[in-house]
Amino acid sequence: MKKHTMAILLSLLLALALLAGCGGSGSTTATPAPGTNNQTPATQAPVNTGRRATNEIAIGVAQDFDSLDPHHMTAAGTKEVLFNVYEGLVKPTADGRIVPAVASEVSASEDGLTYTLKLRAGVKFHDGSAVTMDDVVYSLNRRMSGEDAAAYLKALDIISEVTTEGDTLTLTLSEPSGEFLAYLMNVYVIPAANADPEGKPIGTGPYKVASRAAQDSLVLERFADYWGEGGKLDKVTFKILENAESLVLGLQSGALDLVSHMTSDQTTQLSAQSFRIEQGSMNLVQALYLNNARAPFDDVRVRQALCYATNKQGMIDLAFDGFGIPLGTSMFPSFGKYYDESLTDYYEYDPARARELLAEAGYPDGIDVTITVPSNYTPHVNTAQVLAEQYKAANIRATIQPVEWNTWLRDVYNGRDFQATITGLTSDNMTARKLLERFGSTIDNNFCNYSNPEYDEILAKAVSAIDDAEQTAYYRQLERILTETAANVYLQDMADLVAVRSGLKGLEFYPLYVLDVSTLEWE
Amino acid sequence: MKYTIRRIWMLVVTMLIVSFMTFLAFELVSGDPAQTMLGTEATPEQLAALRHELGLDQPFFARYFRWLGGFFTGDLGSSYIYRQGVWGLIAPKLSLTLLLALISFILITVISIPLGVWSYRFVGGPFDWLRTTFNQLCMAVPPFFVGILLCWIFGIILHLFTPGDFPALRSDPGGALRHLLFASICLCIPRIAMTVRMMRSTVIGEMEKAYVRTAISRGNDRRQVLTRHVLKNSLTSTVTFLGQTMAELVGGSIVVEQVFGIPGLGRFLVSSISNRDYPVVQAIVVLLAFWVVLAGTIADLINQRVDPRLRLGGGAK
Repeated sequence: MKKHTMAILLSLLLALALLAGCGGSGSTTATPAPGTNNQTPATQAPVNTGRRATNEIAIGVAQDFDSLDPHHMTAAGTKEVLFNVYEGLVKPTADGRIVPAVASEVSASEDGLTYTLKLRAGVKFHDGSAVTMDDVVYSLNRRMSGEDAAAYLKALDIISEVTTEGDTLTLTLSEPSGEFLAYLMNVYVIPAANADPEGKPIGTGPYKVASRAAQDSLVLERFADYWGEGGKLDKVTFKILENAESLVLGLQSGALDLVSHMTSDQTTQLSAQSFRIEQGSMNLVQALYLNNARAPFDDVRVRQALCYATNKQGMIDLAFDGFGIPLGTSMFPSFGKYYDESLTDYYEYDPARARELLAEAGYPDGIDVTITVPSNYTPHVNTAQVLAEQYKAANIRATIQPVEWNTWLRDVYNGRDFQATITGLTSDNMTARKLLERFGSTIDNNFCNYSNPEYDEILAKAVSAIDDAEQTAYYRQLERILTETAANVYLQDMADLVAVRSGLKGLEFYPLYVLDVSTLEWE
Repeated sequence: MKYTIRRIWMLVVTMLIVSFMTFLAFELVSGDPAQTMLGTEATPEQLAALRHELGLDQPFFARYFRWLGGFFTGDLGSSYIYRQGVWGLIAPKLSLTLLLALISFILITVISIPLGVWSYRFVGGPFDWLRTTFNQLCMAVPPFFVGILLCWIFGIILHLFTPGDFPALRSDPGGALRHLLFASICLCIPRIAMTVRMMRSTVIGEMEKAYVRTAISRGNDRRQVLTRHVLKNSLTSTVTFLGQTMAELVGGSIVVEQVFGIPGLGRFLVSSISNRDYPVVQAIVVLLAFWVVLAGTIADLINQRVDPRLRLGGGAK
């Protein structure tokens, strides 16, 4: 008996020894030189000297990319990353301007109907070939013609004529548009000769795609022949880790150097010595969007009651640890001149007033509301929970209905079959128009069914205005109408918390949902 | 021979049923791939055009039989999202998941069988309650939690592997195996606890049988009886149980792959379902079904070698 017990014990010991041995031999390659992290306690992530020495970084992202074809990509998380790979004739800057990119000069006629663009000399594609006017026209046509359904960009319908002469491109518009360049930004220039833009992504940006593994990683390499200043890091690896805990573990273990869109909860798990948390804003309008066509929200008093029943700052404090900028209308501070801050506190938190308004509207016993939320967006789900709790004081009984993203898209966003929902709306082309146009009564994506003749009238004036000051005034008017009529319960522009490994610098926040890696570098 | 034919037949039927059920499930569940691909700004015309391009506008049975035809001619179709062949996408992931399952299986077998027999010694003893509690605990803790704990202890503190950075199998096989080893420990713990419990109760049951009493009364050592007769007789149920375990391991790998950041089949299945990438889901589900039937078949074959009675029974049917 004893012998057997001994044998089992011995074999277990042997197994353990093997385990330890195998770990030990490997740790010399996996961890950095012992000298560098002798002082840091064992629980802290070591500075990954390996990647620093080879001038590369690894960035964690929460989802795979929906398409590497720039004309097909729709997910915000994809545009965020491929911003480094593709460029249009013009591109955005961190301070919100639109500057020439593949074009070197851009000029508009006085009536705003003709745009003349000059092709920049010496711009090369990632495969080494030069960008020609044919490539530009091909890219433009791919987004305009509708032959490729997924690439079609409706906003370009206003282009009535495309003519080229040498290296000059002339675009004639059927109506003037002050925001035309912003839409032109999305016409990423790709080579006409490339038959497979998805499998073999080729662009003109400062980084080129080196390799991709589905649901695993995307590797970008510095493009040496970039026409501009170009990137500083040689290699940037995007690691896909859909599990939030794994992203934090990845930072702690040294596998990752940068992760965006973290919750304040997650950032507190990181050591201050190894990481710096930078705060930007997500540039979106998070709101409780209401179906204005469906009772009880077809009554402005009920909508206003909801606004009075909402304690925005309280919600931000509770669900977001105080990170976030309260909003009062469909516009956020990054838009500078368009943003009307005075609207933020238009409805002071006042549950008693909310109950009065409900009674006036014929609901003395309060109302029942179903809030549909896309379940994959934890921040929106958390927001819904806090709001539901707040609304009790105003006799508003809220039920939260979490649905899958795909179902949300179909039923809520496209089907408009909902009562109330929480989401964040962005402007992916840096125009105020994108955020305000969607409330025009005839607009396709007016999923809130907001309908107001006065709004439509001013919107039409705003869109066709060429004078900037005039246009700005119109847009601010629109914002005020949305607030006064309580189109939706506007909540906040969510904070974007980015964990950056110490020693890595140059992170810039854009008024767009993009992560520019070309400015990043090791100190 | 008859048996082999019956098994193959069963395999084909199972896979047919499973593939049909998956197809049906997607038909009933809301959402469609065109919507996912085009996002919030899609116009109805764009959606219709893309649905046509993907063949989604065809009737349900037409789509199913087209897929089936492709499957039997070795064409798994191409992914909607990645726009490339499904097989090329899942092959590298399949090998990782199989490796993970294999390492786990070896760990389970090597650890739990001796442990199960050994734990028989404690039956009725003063420490039996402790063993039972520990066993229950191992079964109850969710792999998700254990995974994070293991990553933290072995990855962050001891630096034995780097969570979030799975090395490529080809360029760094040692690193990849080490990473997989920790993931399989996480995957194993509840299974080992279950197997130990199963082994223990089987041994207890066998030891109470008449032949054991006879053997002991004829003067044999208790331990000799245990190793010579009881173990052999407990083997069939153990093999059957391990066969089930083998089948379940692949399914269980989904959570573990997510926590450990292993680019395996389980993670890919989950993301493909939410993307409504039907061809990929279809292929993975059929592969999993194949795997389950295969594990059962192997367990049966082994049992027949061990216990000739089963062979006779099988032949007679």
